[in-house]
Amino acid sequence: MRKYRALLLAVFALALLFSLFISLHPRGFSVYVVTIWSNQGILLALAAIAQFFVILVRGIDLSVGPIVALTNVAASYLVHGTPAATALGALAVIALGVVCGLANGTAVVFAGVQPIVATLASGAIFGGLALLLRPVPGGTIDDALSDMMTYDIHGIPTALVILIAVTAAVTWPLRRTRLGLSMYAVGSAEAAAFLTGTRVAAAKLLAYALGGVFASLAGLYVAMVTETGDAGIAPAYTLNSIAAAVLGGVSLSGGIGSPVGAVVGAFILKTVSSAMFFSGLPPLAQPFFEGLVLAIAIVISALGTVRARSRLAVYER
Amino acid sequence: MLARILLAGIASTALFVGVARAEDNYRPECFKPAPKNTKFIQQTPKPGPYRIAFVNGYAGNDWRITAIQSAKAWAARPENKKLLKEFKVVSVGNDSAAQIAAIDNFIAAGFDAITFIAVNPTAFDPVIRRAQKAGVVLVPFDNVLDTDKIVQVNEDQFELGNIKARAVVAALQKENGKVAGKILEVSGLPGNSVDRDNHNGMRAELDKYPDLKVVQVVGNWDAGVGQKVTADAIATEGPFDGVLAQEGTVGVLNAFINAHQKLVPVGGDAGNGARIIIAQNHIPGVTAAQAPALSAMALMTAVAELQGHKLPQTIYFDIPQKPNDQLVEGKDYFPNLPKSFYTTTGFPQCAPVFTPQELLGQTPDNS
Repeated sequence: MRKYRALLLAVFALALLFSLFISLHPRGFSVYVVTIWSNQGILLALAAIAQFFVILVRGIDLSVGPIVALTNVAASYLVHGTPAATALGALAVIALGVVCGLANGTAVVFAGVQPIVATLASGAIFGGLALLLRPVPGGTIDDALSDMMTYDIHGIPTALVILIAVTAAVTWPLRRTRLGLSMYAVGSAEAAAFLTGTRVAAAKLLAYALGGVFASLAGLYVAMVTETGDAGIAPAYTLNSIAAAVLGGVSLSGGIGSPVGAVVGAFILKTVSSAMFFSGLPPLAQPFFEGLVLAIAIVISALGTVRARSRLAVYER
Repeated sequence: MLARILLAGIASTALFVGVARAEDNYRPECFKPAPKNTKFIQQTPKPGPYRIAFVNGYAGNDWRITAIQSAKAWAARPENKKLLKEFKVVSVGNDSAAQIAAIDNFIAAGFDAITFIAVNPTAFDPVIRRAQKAGVVLVPFDNVLDTDKIVQVNEDQFELGNIKARAVVAALQKENGKVAGKILEVSGLPGNSVDRDNHNGMRAELDKYPDLKVVQVVGNWDAGVGQKVTADAIATEGPFDGVLAQEGTVGVLNAFINAHQKLVPVGGDAGNGARIIIAQNHIPGVTAAQAPALSAMALMTAVAELQGHKLPQTIYFDIPQKPNDQLVEGKDYFPNLPKSFYTTTGFPQCAPVFTPQELLGQTPDNS
């Protein structure tokens, strides 16, 4: 139970904020409002899961936004036509995400470059590529596919169904397989993990590759929401994905946290923005309040560490 | 009998004219179809008063802030106030997904119409479908969309450039008896259609005169950048016989003054600073502008559409402009207001223009 305290706090905060948002919204609780909220949330949630994997192995990924932009632009060229062509196109977009993630991982693991430097440089390359491919926004995505992915299934937003499915698909192996646990081990204490025979390089590479996969899923979903490829969307994702992960109880020092936490953190951030929107607060005060929510959440999650007698006690949880 | 036939003839002519007039759209002196306009849009009337929202994207420059103030000033006028049950303004930043979500939220909240400056010209097809399904009127303006499904509002950017070039050419003709010499063209932010169309409009006129040599510099629609590139151009290519600027004319003119150059005929924007210099120095030419009050015209368009009036799908409002020798202090320029103030505060053929007091009384905040 103590292990999940940060996550439970985040879930509680999200529930509170969601009720506030719904009570402020003139339409109130309805399928349409929850669908809009889910469509907004899933974009950042997928980017936050991407960020989670890299942070888990004690890295940080400043190229999440640029990968989202690059894969979104790729999707605007590849994801249309016959159902088979669309499916192949989507797979190609995810493959591109894997390539981007592995490029980051290679720079960090084999070239020994600091993650923050490696991903800053690679981010500029990915973002530049996106801009070269689409200097101005454009492209086509199938209308029917877009509607299918961004509406609801019997009143449940499709975005939520997708998000729950992909989060479950990674959460279970992360806790139950050797490779999954070795990512936690590497993030907690790399030297110890190495000495006990953990495959450090493989675990790190896998984490960066999974980061690429989830960033590309975000890029694909942006294409579903906007039916277009736009190289200029990167700034909305990089730092917000880090903030979302931290809000959801993912520790920047590595080894602690879960994809579910990253998702919850992302929805907290988006719900705060949406609630601001109908609150009538001045727009210039909005970043201040968003920052305040973030700061409060970090303080609360840090309280656990402060009260512990030693850092080891934190890892025992 | 003859009189009767004549009368019948007149009546039938009148009827014919009436039919021909019915082909026109609502208030054609105001809502002018763009040259490229191919279709008209008319909805079944919806009873007022209406709930309308303005969803702005980026909010960080004078033009956008003035656009927000103009929209609020329009909504605050008594004759418009009674048309509106609720009016909201939000700025969502440069994020197309966030702008789509904002529009969706207003559709969900049961708003009747939403005006917006699009962050991205192609991202709004899905939300247009949802708006049409819900019977919500969407009116994009300034940065418009690549769609013919909804009414859009703008000024003719080609014509805007062309007006300026025509005025400078006419001034040269009047001064020297011939159109010859060197023209400085200060263009805008490269790589978008607004810059391209303004440039093409200028060149379409200038290229008619083989004795004109044009020197082009890139001013990025910024007074500071405009001043620097003009100073450089004067140093390397000067003197000039005429100058054309898309935006930031105040900087361009300051560069002329600082370099002790003769102030030559100018076709520029209608910024307060530029008009003050032009009026005080009696510089010939014209000032014309993409007016931030387009935000108010978008609201007017939305109301007209809700009331069931027939409108062109692409509306170009008359470009607010004034020949330099007709500028009037306190009406066209305001020495006591900031140089960055946009002097073209409205579209007189559509509604009385805003007074500076009306605009400056509005905050740029969400409401």
